Amino acid sequence: MSEQLSLKEPLLKRIKIDRSAIVEFSKEYMVLFAIAILSIITIIIEPKFATIANLTNIMRQFGPLIMVCLGMTFVIIGGFIDLSVSGTIPLVVVITHSMIEPYGMVTALIAGLIAGALCGFINSLLILGSGATTQAEALFITYGTMVVFGGLAMLYTGGVTHYLTYMEADYSLFTVIGSGTVGIFSVSFLIFLFIVTILYIFQSQTYLGRTINLIGGNKTAARLSGISITKGIICMFTINGFMAGLSGIILFSRVTQASPTLGKGYETQAILAVVVGGTSLLGGKGSVIRTVIGTLLVILLGNCMNMLGIDVFMQNIMRGLILVSAIWLDAKRQR
Amino acid sequence: MNNQAKSGNIIKLITKQKAVLAIIAILFFMIFFPTNFFTSYNLLDLLNSASIYIVLAFGITLVIIGEGIDLSIGGTLCLGGIIAIMCMNAGLPIWLSIICAVLVGAFIGLINGFLVVYQKCAPFIITLGMGLVLTGVAQQLTDAHPVSPSNVKFMMIGNGMLFGVIPNLIVIMLIIFALVHILLRYTQFGRNIYAIGGDYEVAEYSGISVRKIQAATYVICGAMAAFSGVLLSSTLNTGSSIYGDRIPLVVISAVVVGGTSLAGGVGGAPLALVGYLVFGVMENSMNMLGVSPYAQEVIRGVVVVTILCLDSYSRKRKREAV
Repeated sequence: MSEQLSLKEPLLKRIKIDRSAIVEFSKEYMVLFAIAILSIITIIIEPKFATIANLTNIMRQFGPLIMVCLGMTFVIIGGFIDLSVSGTIPLVVVITHSMIEPYGMVTALIAGLIAGALCGFINSLLILGSGATTQAEALFITYGTMVVFGGLAMLYTGGVTHYLTYMEADYSLFTVIGSGTVGIFSVSFLIFLFIVTILYIFQSQTYLGRTINLIGGNKTAARLSGISITKGIICMFTINGFMAGLSGIILFSRVTQASPTLGKGYETQAILAVVVGGTSLLGGKGSVIRTVIGTLLVILLGNCMNMLGIDVFMQNIMRGLILVSAIWLDAKRQR
Repeated sequence: MNNQAKSGNIIKLITKQKAVLAIIAILFFMIFFPTNFFTSYNLLDLLNSASIYIVLAFGITLVIIGEGIDLSIGGTLCLGGIIAIMCMNAGLPIWLSIICAVLVGAFIGLINGFLVVYQKCAPFIITLGMGLVLTGVAQQLTDAHPVSPSNVKFMMIGNGMLFGVIPNLIVIMLIIFALVHILLRYTQFGRNIYAIGGDYEVAEYSGISVRKIQAATYVICGAMAAFSGVLLSSTLNTGSSIYGDRIPLVVISAVVVGGTSLAGGVGGAPLALVGYLVFGVMENSMNMLGVSPYAQEVIRGVVVVTILCLDSYSRKRKREAV
């Protein structure tokens, strides 16, 4: 009798644990289910969704947006937020474009990336200088720098859109980035794989990367345990600026025009992707892998809505609603 | 030592009244340029066009004093104008259309208030998302085209003159100014907002129904944003989904430069009025000097960043002093 009970008990317990683990897993990765459901619904209504052409299209769209999202992940994990990316992108684009003719394409590419990183660095200096510690302060300051960077891009070009294809100089590098393929993969997708690997290793294996998580979790505790918050903040904003620059270059190569309004709305889409992926807005929790999944959902959503013929304004409403409900769920989970 | 104390007082005064000083500085600067800046027509026009945003600034002041923030005011503003015009085109009388628009604004404020106060979402980020939704709704309603009212009289609200001398907008702004000032200074509700912004927990333990009052500030702010949208559409005689693009940032930094702190508990209607006038005067003088719009954008951005950084910095100083 007693033996039977003792046999039964652990079994029941194990089942219980398993069930809670499943619930936990499904709560954590709800996005994956969302992606699956979304894909299935779209395939049923519009079978063209599953064609190679469409999948390549999705892969291409992945390029510019994911870079911003990956950069934003670090800033949000660090307990801040950065809206200035949609100002950084046009600034980087117009700088890169203007450098191709006199200095050659490789220099232009590097200059663009440096300009992006510099924008992020300026943000971090402003935040450190003003002693801002909350997400709200960072949001306002970067909202301002977004206007400044975007305005500078406008000022630089006089509001004119320049076309890459009209250029006399060699611009083949940008063509490769924008529309080149290696086998079935687009070059921008390979760049993404490369970058995401580096960032993943940086985040999980290096001291500086883990510092950012700790800063986001609790700034006071991080400072008291001897972590340099200054270094962490500079690091996360510079990475974000650099990634915005990279995103700008990929976007520029894809659309082959340097418009000072390029990248508009990327900041909110990036926040949406990061939050939907499960990185908490409170900071300290999240990873680049989650962001990749979140971005996939955001892009799939856009693709599905296009496939289903939902018009662009309705899509904006849907995105906004999803952002609001994702933030709401995030707040609810933390409570 | 006496001298030191005196100079300390002067510095304190300057930092407190920096908005007034900024306005005086710009006016002084403009003396040296031969423009039409100092004509009564221009100055009246300056105040007139600033009035719309000053009304918006009053609304956001209430929320900021209560330790909140609302970035969806841009969306509410453009939606307010569009709804008023659409109601009018559907055959409703003007006054009813305006009430409809204001009610929609209040409803948006209610949603914001619910999400922020009762669901504990971070206010700046949830209202940013809300702004996206509202802009989307405005685009959907108008198909992203500007809409114009069928009733000609609607235009007279924003462009008419009272007694043929004072523009209507200034009168409306002054009335709302008086109302908000009285609400904040002389009613229990207004004083409670200050208490909540000053110290949330103390306010809660003193028996103030903090949640209701905080949510109410969002509702009032939404209603006022929609009303200023009506005024804007009436002035331009069109409603469009692009009006609210950069407005939240400019109005919030105007409120902050006036002396209302984003930390809550400090501020008032006169401060918001003076704060927005800084931006109004700056914009007008830049137009007068013929600065290119792109350069204006950069200058405005730099001013905004400076103001917000200084606000953060003063808060940091305060924290360290404690």
